[in-house]
Amino acid sequence: MRALIESLQADYFRRALVEAALAGALGGLVSVHVLLRRLQFFVVALSHATFPGVVLASALGVSLFVGGSAFGLLVAGAVVLLGRERSAGDSSIVGVVVAGAFAFGVALITALPAGGRQLTAFLVGSIVTVDTGDVILTAAVLAVGVATCGLLHKELVFSAFDHAGAASMGYNKVPLDLVVLILVTLVSVSVIPAVGTLLAISLLTIPGLIARLWSDRVVSMMIIASIGGASAGVIGLCLSAIWNIAAGGAIALTGVGLLGVSLIVRQPRRWSGAITPGDRRSGAESGSALEA
Amino acid sequence: MLSRLLIEPFTVSYMQRALLSVVLLSIMGVVCGLHVVFRRLTFLAEALQHTVFPGIVIAFLTGQSLLLGATAAAILTVVMFSLASSKTNADTDSVLAVLVTLFFGLGVVLVSRSGSFQHDLTTLVFGRLLSVSTAELVQTGVVAVVVVAVLIALHKELMLRAFDESGAKSMGYSVVTLDLVLNCLVAAVVVASVRSVGTVLMVAFIVTPALTGRMAARRVGYMLAVGLGCSLVAGWVGLGLSYELSVHRGVNLAAGATVVLLMTVMFLLVAGYQAIRRSYAPEAHNLYAPEAQDSYAPEAR
Repeated sequence: MRALIESLQADYFRRALVEAALAGALGGLVSVHVLLRRLQFFVVALSHATFPGVVLASALGVSLFVGGSAFGLLVAGAVVLLGRERSAGDSSIVGVVVAGAFAFGVALITALPAGGRQLTAFLVGSIVTVDTGDVILTAAVLAVGVATCGLLHKELVFSAFDHAGAASMGYNKVPLDLVVLILVTLVSVSVIPAVGTLLAISLLTIPGLIARLWSDRVVSMMIIASIGGASAGVIGLCLSAIWNIAAGGAIALTGVGLLGVSLIVRQPRRWSGAITPGDRRSGAESGSALEA
Repeated sequence: MLSRLLIEPFTVSYMQRALLSVVLLSIMGVVCGLHVVFRRLTFLAEALQHTVFPGIVIAFLTGQSLLLGATAAAILTVVMFSLASSKTNADTDSVLAVLVTLFFGLGVVLVSRSGSFQHDLTTLVFGRLLSVSTAELVQTGVVAVVVVAVLIALHKELMLRAFDESGAKSMGYSVVTLDLVLNCLVAAVVVASVRSVGTVLMVAFIVTPALTGRMAARRVGYMLAVGLGCSLVAGWVGLGLSYELSVHRGVNLAAGATVVLLMTVMFLLVAGYQAIRRSYAPEAHNLYAPEAQDSYAPEAR
């Protein structure tokens, strides 16, 4: 406990707390869309897909955030493009694109002069070293996320639940899918300082699953998920200071802990239904944006 | 020139071991990969790369063999995944996301308590194909034989389960057991690659050639042949290319990554060819896709 109180007096730790809360809220907000569209695999895959961008950025000396996002967006585009080839299975395409991108990154890292200093921070996060710029960036992405989810709420939720219905009412599916994929990519990159690229999945799915146990409505799920994500971030960071463990891992495990508590408190049998909100029978029909 | 690329590199003994290693991984990758594509288990293969991590960390800390730790963690993942998806009917993607978070988070926390782990972490992620030992080759060979043997023995049952789940149930097969067996085989294939190409690139050995075969052919035998062909050609040319560039041209190019890049290029060529053929022959499109093709990818639970 004393370690925590000592840490709280330091500037860098308070900045880290703000970053953890912002990243958690951001991940929580988007996690609802990730669940609605079954993008969990895409999020895990992004952690490998952004790798070549990071290697290039590190070699060229530009921000890892820029390099990672640029390559993440490229991969999101490739997934949407190749996903139109119906004969190829949905998730398999993500696997192929991502493994290819990762191999490209590995080839780059062996061919280019070494710049691996920041690599570990990128892989598992390094929240205590964030500067004010990182915090502002996360806050900006949070603002973009709230604006996108708010302005396009009806369209995004409708097309997630009923692709055919949305198409027949004249909504164009490809831009909507792209908006979600771009948003998810930006968020996965901006939670990297907090939990690292390999654990971005923790902030981008667990809060949504927690919220699903507490609510059936999309808007309240988003609010609960944001609060849940921010709590996981703050509690995890404090635990990491107390026990002197990695913040990224602590935040991820705190999220899983909150999910476990929610499961125990809110009848476990709710898990016997589909995880998507609303009517559970029709919920099962809501396909992923990568399918179809 | 061609012999310099395709024959000369393999006069060196470590390149021979690397080639043999790639051949073994290709064979079990494609055979297992077709089932992965049919059953949409790509996410499981991808998730396993992350979940073996704490097992490897614990093995490293306690001085056990890394392969043992990875195997234990993989088995634990597969059992938890199979139980959660059969008993609770929860969305499998969410189950995997929770497992990845739990296992990888645990691994990260353990590493942060233990200090230096950097070197082995890099090996795990990138593999070290060119320094595969004979003993590791034998281990991979044993896994390959077991995986291929089980898949041949259970071919009919697994196909039935993939394309007609209720049919398999009504004929008295235990779908849960079949799923568990297949998931364990995927885990074995991923773990077998820990010391050679690294677990992250192994997913390419499983999914990419199998999906190439799946796109190019309509019968399982042909899919297997196309996939295996792609995989072996990519392995042979990729290793040769990486050797030639690194030794004679002074451009370092990781061997495993070169092989996977060639596989990806072949996949993109096949995908591009199919897209062009389809746009010129709309009636073929109606004949084979999407309905006929969709029946090849049974709905994930």
